[in-house]
Amino acid sequence: MTILHDEGQQAIATESRRVLEARMRKEDLLPLLEVEGRYHEGFWATAKEQGWTALALPESHGGLALGLVELGLIAHQAGRTLSGAPFLTSGFGAAKAIELYGSDAQKARWLPGLASGDSIGAIAFASGADPLPAQPGVRFADGRLDGIAPAVSGGVAADIAILLAAGADGPVLAVAELAGVERRTVASFDNSRCLADLVFAGTPAERLETGGAARDAALHILALQAVVTAHEQTGGAEALMEIARDYAVTRKAFGQPIGAFQSIKHRIAELYGLVELARANCIHAAAREGAEDFITAAAAARLSATEAYDSAARDCVQIHGGIGVTWEIGLHLHMRRARSLALEQGSTLFWEDVLVDRLAGEGA
Amino acid sequence: MSDLEGWRAKAAAWCESMVPQFGKAARKGLSVEEDLALGRRYQKAKFDAGFAGINWPTDLGGQGLGHIEKIAFEAEEMKHGFPNVYFGISLGMPVPVLMQFGTDREFVKERVLKALQGEEIWCQLFSEPSGGTDLAGLRTRAETDGNGWKINGQKVWTSWAQYSDYGVIVVRTDPTVAKHKGLTYFWVDMKAPGVTVRPIKLAGGDSHVNEVFFDDVRIGDDHRMSPVGGGFAVAMATLMIERYVATDSAGFGPHLDLFVDLAKEVRLNGRPAIEDGRIRQQIARNHAMRAGLDSINVRARLMMQAGMTPGPEGSLNKLVAVRSRQKLSELAIDLQGAAGFAFDAHASPKDDWASSWINAPTGRIAGGSDETLLNTIAERILGLPQDHRPDKGVPFNEIPA
Ligand SMILES: Cc1cc2nc3c(=O)[nH]c(=O)nc-3n(C[C@H](O)[C@H](O)[C@H](O)COP(=O)(O)OP(=O)(O)OC[C@H]3O[C@@H](n4cnc5c(N)ncnc54)[C@H](O)[C@@H]3O)c2cc1C
Repeated sequence: MTILHDEGQQAIATESRRVLEARMRKEDLLPLLEVEGRYHEGFWATAKEQGWTALALPESHGGLALGLVELGLIAHQAGRTLSGAPFLTSGFGAAKAIELYGSDAQKARWLPGLASGDSIGAIAFASGADPLPAQPGVRFADGRLDGIAPAVSGGVAADIAILLAAGADGPVLAVAELAGVERRTVASFDNSRCLADLVFAGTPAERLETGGAARDAALHILALQAVVTAHEQTGGAEALMEIARDYAVTRKAFGQPIGAFQSIKHRIAELYGLVELARANCIHAAAREGAEDFITAAAAARLSATEAYDSAARDCVQIHGGIGVTWEIGLHLHMRRARSLALEQGSTLFWEDVLVDRLAGEGA
Repeated sequence: MSDLEGWRAKAAAWCESMVPQFGKAARKGLSVEEDLALGRRYQKAKFDAGFAGINWPTDLGGQGLGHIEKIAFEAEEMKHGFPNVYFGISLGMPVPVLMQFGTDREFVKERVLKALQGEEIWCQLFSEPSGGTDLAGLRTRAETDGNGWKINGQKVWTSWAQYSDYGVIVVRTDPTVAKHKGLTYFWVDMKAPGVTVRPIKLAGGDSHVNEVFFDDVRIGDDHRMSPVGGGFAVAMATLMIERYVATDSAGFGPHLDLFVDLAKEVRLNGRPAIEDGRIRQQIARNHAMRAGLDSINVRARLMMQAGMTPGPEGSLNKLVAVRSRQKLSELAIDLQGAAGFAFDAHASPKDDWASSWINAPTGRIAGGSDETLLNTIAERILGLPQDHRPDKGVPFNEIPA
């Protein structure tokens, strides 16, 4: 697939940006930091109404049959304006797992709800510090799940989850409805991510894959989500770079704009470099969906986007001086989001390993 | 045991004995007001035990000892997380400046004694909305008013102003001369009519800094602590007083041992993270950096003990340590994976990585931003030229806003 966006794709980027800029305000996001388990309902309503939940899913099940490129473009805009809920990414991951590894019956049962956004999907692979554990903490036996899946993004509100669980014959990729499942909300520095520990106790679940295939499938889903998240991170980093630039040309010290000081000017120019590398890696990765080197491309996108967003958060705050660390200006919304997105779908440490294993020919 | 060692041992024993009453456990769950009240009691206990104003003159309630004893005490005190943060600025800068430049000595003595016993708190009213780094560009003005002065304007980022009884302030008394020549230094009563304090909530959730508004605040000329137009020099002297403080190579974040413990606990790829090369490298590099800073600090202490003036390399501590703490805290969050999301707004940056991370940016801005510290090193220590300063020598009221 070409990495030059066509007119339709450009229109998706422009339109989603217009809608989100009109509807997302930091004044509505700040209070969400101080309560647990609440998300920005307007954001999620917009995602449903605009068809973003359906975008990358098959037409046969209520989707729009577009792909990672288009969803990435929207995630980028969502990152710019600090998306108010994690479900766009997690719902996409859950739907892809069912689309790629589920039976026709499973697809018919769950995909339409995920495509319309009426069902919220979550991914619960992690256990301990490991985003893709060899020995998952949740057990799968006789069609039932037991154990705790820690800090699942969207876990507070999700209707269904895709899990990596430990079965008798190795790991199992499973799907479970969460109706009766206990959720322990996690108090986090970015509470609108709606993190919860999911407590499974004899919860009915259906198997999608087993053994090595389950692990490969989970990595593939994680990589798909990582590419979406990388777009979101790049969007956040880009917004911070622009905020820093705007401040540096207006704020004055010693009779001149602070942007005239080379230490400030170069810091912002370095951010430009990080943002453009991340963007380029995102565009490349999105276009490699389905290709042999997809995981490699996803890892590269993920690594450069995490670096860009964390760096932009540090530097943009620093350039603002005292005003940068106030609650009200809200730069900490980005700072917090940079860290929560750095953890979701696996940290830099994880993706470095995935990437180098592949480059060294040791990958799965 | 040398005198200094004896002093240190005595300080350590006293601090240890204060832990049940004032340590981290005693402070847990307290509101800011309750913690401040506890802090006042702690400061009084410190005064009674002879550990307040260690290097201040005895006739003002101090102990008449040297910087070296003060630093030795602070190094012990820092280990325990006592509620002393409310007095850090007060006793660190404004009150020493009052001792040095206050003209009414009776008044000075009364204030110093109350401040040393935690009864009164002083704040430092320097930074303004229009600028903190460019201190001489400040806009709050004082005009003559009968025999005294009338202050109008706004300060910002004033730490602990909401609990302060007094403050030291730099204001513009003559806008027609070059910016740093038209400033005068006063003390003000924070409870005086026309002073309004409004707390500012910070990114980490706390509100220890404030906006302070001055509306026709009238003060007598006896509040003046510098010659008229000579305020900039006293402001500089204020910022220099804190040269001799105990520094923390952890950048006021967690000790490196806590990172090592975390790395031993967490598993990466099925093995303890402490076996991972990337983690080992960060531990090694952070150790080398912190050990270097510690050595600089010890050497400075020994030089002081020998009556010498420590070198300028001590100014590296905050710059290097806080920046590194910020990144190490991010890595600690990454390392924890799912557990890394957890956050407790009341946790201490000294032992919680998320708290250390979210509060790190304030440390890179307050008390001289990274950029300011780098400029100082470049220009004052290394003799590199200053940036172009278009406002240099221009009368303040002719500098474009
Ligand atoms: C937690 C906290 C507590 C504080 N407590 C007090 C207090 O008690 N009393 C008080 O008076 N002030 C206090 N301050 C204010 C602090 O001193 C100022 O925030 C600081 O001096 C920076 O000023 P500013 O915020 O106006 O940023 P600005 O001066 O506007 O600086 C903005 C950016 O430009 C950079 N910059 C400025 N000049 C240059 C230059 N020449 N070269 C390169 N870069 C430059 C700065 O480093 C910064 O990155 C506090 C601040 C904080 C965050």
